Amino acid sequence: MNGLKQLAVTDESMVLEREEIIDQLMQEYSDDILHLVYTYVKNRATAEDLTQEIFIKCYERLHQFNQQAAIKTWVYRIASNHCKDYLRSWHYRKITLSDKILDYIPSKSKQVEEEIIANSEENILTNAVLNLPLKYREVVFLHYYEELSLAEISKITTVNINTIKTRLKRAKDLLKDKMIEEV
Amino acid sequence: MSDPFTNLKSSMEKSVFKDFSFSNERKNAVKEAIRISQSQPQFHSWKIETIIAILESVQHESKDGYTISTQLFQKNERTFQKNEGQLYTLLHLLENKEILTSNWINKKKYYSLNSKGKKYLATYKQDTSKQELSLNHLLEEASL
Repeated sequence: MNGLKQLAVTDESMVLEREEIIDQLMQEYSDDILHLVYTYVKNRATAEDLTQEIFIKCYERLHQFNQQAAIKTWVYRIASNHCKDYLRSWHYRKITLSDKILDYIPSKSKQVEEEIIANSEENILTNAVLNLPLKYREVVFLHYYEELSLAEISKITTVNINTIKTRLKRAKDLLKDKMIEEV
Repeated sequence: MSDPFTNLKSSMEKSVFKDFSFSNERKNAVKEAIRISQSQPQFHSWKIETIIAILESVQHESKDGYTISTQLFQKNERTFQKNEGQLYTLLHLLENKEILTSNWINKKKYYSLNSKGKKYLATYKQDTSKQELSLNHLLEEASL
């Protein structure tokens, strides 16, 4: 009879174990994930909201995690897909984009703000990367900021390694053109 | 040719990601959400009696979900009343634990006891004292 009692109880102990795992994942990766999310959505508050959703999603999907893969790549993949879903969502396209149009209407305070931000060398590089098209921005960030290998990036984005290499090369060219423009 | 991205990490840390980390409030919000999602569905705490009732109903012949559901109802097992879908969740769970096996016949899924399930049922009947059983009988008759 113990077997059946266990059956009723295992779910409960598994719940605690899953909670523990999510806690550890947050300690370990939450800042990296937050920064990754930011490079997709370019807004701090949205990035924080989405990161929160991502860890909840990890909790819900934990039973689907395949032990053969590294948990880090698995979490990154969920994060990357979640961001892409968000960028495709109705809310983002209709509401956030119309807010963005306001950015193009010149306002004095904004100009000043941007000038202060824009002058250091660090900011020039950061802004240049953030303004790259998504498919380049994504691989550049994962490779140079998160310091992941091409194989890992390939697993996260489900893009072929050679394609990633080409994108990195193309991103370098784009960046150089931009830097020359700015100087 | 130098790599223009070499300094990306330190540049971003000093600029766009300065003082930007996933706060403890945010972490707690995640834990809170997880806790709420757990407390809502009560599916995990099956009563032993419910499980046994299902095993008993398929011990002699295989049956489909609907027949099992009707039999449980006749046996006064009301766990799934107005919540029939949960029966299938439990059947699936028992199948995953290899206590039940199933067969598709004419677009219906028929469940029957596995050898493991038979063993459970047998041990359960041995373990429970006769007294308790007869008491259950009494209770059952009283509630009819």
